[in-house]
Amino acid sequence: MTAATDMTSLPAGGMVTRRAPKAGFDRLFRTASFTAALLVLVLLAGIMVSMVVGGWPAFREFGFGFITSTVWDTQNEQYGAWPAIVGTLSTALIALVIGVPLSLGIAVYLTQLAPAWFKKPVSTAIELLAAVPSIIYGMWGLFVFVPLFAQYVQIPVSNVVEGMPILGTVLYSRSPSGLGIFTAGFILAFMIVPFIASITRDMLEQIPSVLRESAYGIGATTWEVVRHVLVPQAGVSIIGAIMLGLGRALGETMAVTFVVGNANRLSASILDPGSTIASRIANEFNEAMGLQLNSLIALGCILFFVTFVVLCIARLLVSRVKRY
Amino acid sequence: MLSTLELSPQTLDAEAPIRIAVKNLDFYYGEHKALKNINLDFRDRHVTALIGPSGCGKSTLLRIFNRIYSLYPEQRAEGEVLLDGRNVISKDVDVNELRSRVGMVFQKPTPFPMSIYDNVAFGIRLYEKPPKSELDDRVEGALRRSALWDEVKDKLKSSGMGLSGGQQQRLCIARTIAQKPEVILFDEPTSALDPISTGKIEDLLEQLKSDFTIVIVTHNMQQAARISQYTAFMYLGEVIEFAPTNTIFMNPAKKQTQDYVTGRFG
Repeated sequence: MTAATDMTSLPAGGMVTRRAPKAGFDRLFRTASFTAALLVLVLLAGIMVSMVVGGWPAFREFGFGFITSTVWDTQNEQYGAWPAIVGTLSTALIALVIGVPLSLGIAVYLTQLAPAWFKKPVSTAIELLAAVPSIIYGMWGLFVFVPLFAQYVQIPVSNVVEGMPILGTVLYSRSPSGLGIFTAGFILAFMIVPFIASITRDMLEQIPSVLRESAYGIGATTWEVVRHVLVPQAGVSIIGAIMLGLGRALGETMAVTFVVGNANRLSASILDPGSTIASRIANEFNEAMGLQLNSLIALGCILFFVTFVVLCIARLLVSRVKRY
Repeated sequence: MLSTLELSPQTLDAEAPIRIAVKNLDFYYGEHKALKNINLDFRDRHVTALIGPSGCGKSTLLRIFNRIYSLYPEQRAEGEVLLDGRNVISKDVDVNELRSRVGMVFQKPTPFPMSIYDNVAFGIRLYEKPPKSELDDRVEGALRRSALWDEVKDKLKSSGMGLSGGQQQRLCIARTIAQKPEVILFDEPTSALDPISTGKIEDLLEQLKSDFTIVIVTHNMQQAARISQYTAFMYLGEVIEFAPTNTIFMNPAKKQTQDYVTGRFG
């Protein structure tokens, strides 16, 4: 063996030529990644500041009345956020009322009851459902669901409840077009189901099987095990999952704008058209200027604030998942 | 090794009726045959220990008695497990009712996410609707029998999750005996506990055997020797030897049993 091919022996003189460390590059790399991280904070702060600055004239002009006023009159430059706030909250509430039981049912079935051959396709379908763009939900809602809803639900229900106290107000539809607050909430329900269902499923799966076995082991039925042991055990993190869904429902724009009806006036009926903060902004931002634009931005501020608070609570609750 | 085993004077009643009779029992995890032709008799109000190295099938056998394996569709048992003459592995058995008669305590304490009182009352409420005063009495009685009453009587409304590991395990025992089962299965009940808590659980087992038929799986041979009257030694899914505990530990018939109880393998 010649010295030239012997890679492990030291060269004459005992010194190895080492690659000079590129200290300069490493410093650059660290700075770059720090900047990338910093950008997130700058971006968030920037959005917050510009929203507040942009919306300030509206807040200054109308004061607290901006939130409580039901008038949205572009001719007379009178703007109030109340109908949009109510619309946002009521569509989100309807979405939760429909979506949460559905999601919990899916999660419980998948983690406790489903045979393996059925579990996989349903789990995948849920992930896919979460990936469907919201405009698809909106189109499906407008072109498929809305006509059916008007014909088979809205008109018959309105006929039945007409004249009744309370129900005659809440469920009566003056113009049974299929569009309205309830329709928006219904579509939203399907949009938040994938989120709530998949997070709840993960939570339930983290519960050790020995706890589940011991609940079954004292003779509890599936319902009793789920109701009294598994759901309380997953506890606040299920509420966190629901809040995440709520966050999405509050801010959802496209699908809602398609089906909510975009009415500026506030109606007491959930079958009547209404508007949400997001749909109002999406409808009007194109032609808005002056105080109208400021008012839209102020609406955005309110939505931003509400969603931000909801998401913060959600994160807090989800992160508190109990380790057994 | 043998000399370190403290064998308690075992009172065997060879006339005691057989509570559980296992006949020609096979068990499968999917394709894998985990138990092979098991034949065992468990006597009423005696403690029977199942010992053997990890993977020998002792927990698997235990989990058949209350059909907890039925939660997993790929697991199945063939043969007969007669509880008072009725085959518990046949399809027409009401598993929930069976499980209220055959209680189980697991390797780890499993308090439910509810108060100490509700943990104990939960199992009673599933099958009976006793008036409040009777329920209170039964909860107290179960907690007393599991030697937990004095430690928790002032905080019955607080969460069961807040107790120490040993207390939680005694709570699980209280929950089980509150249902008045006929048989109690213990699946390595002290493997997650410290020696003092272990001692308390063993004392408890000693007391419980006057009322319940007890089957206990344990890795700890001293524990088996201390608390059981009958012992089955299992290996690779088969029962190698089944005899009174004293015989298994002092004078086993099979070389394999001798090697295991003296610590030469396992």
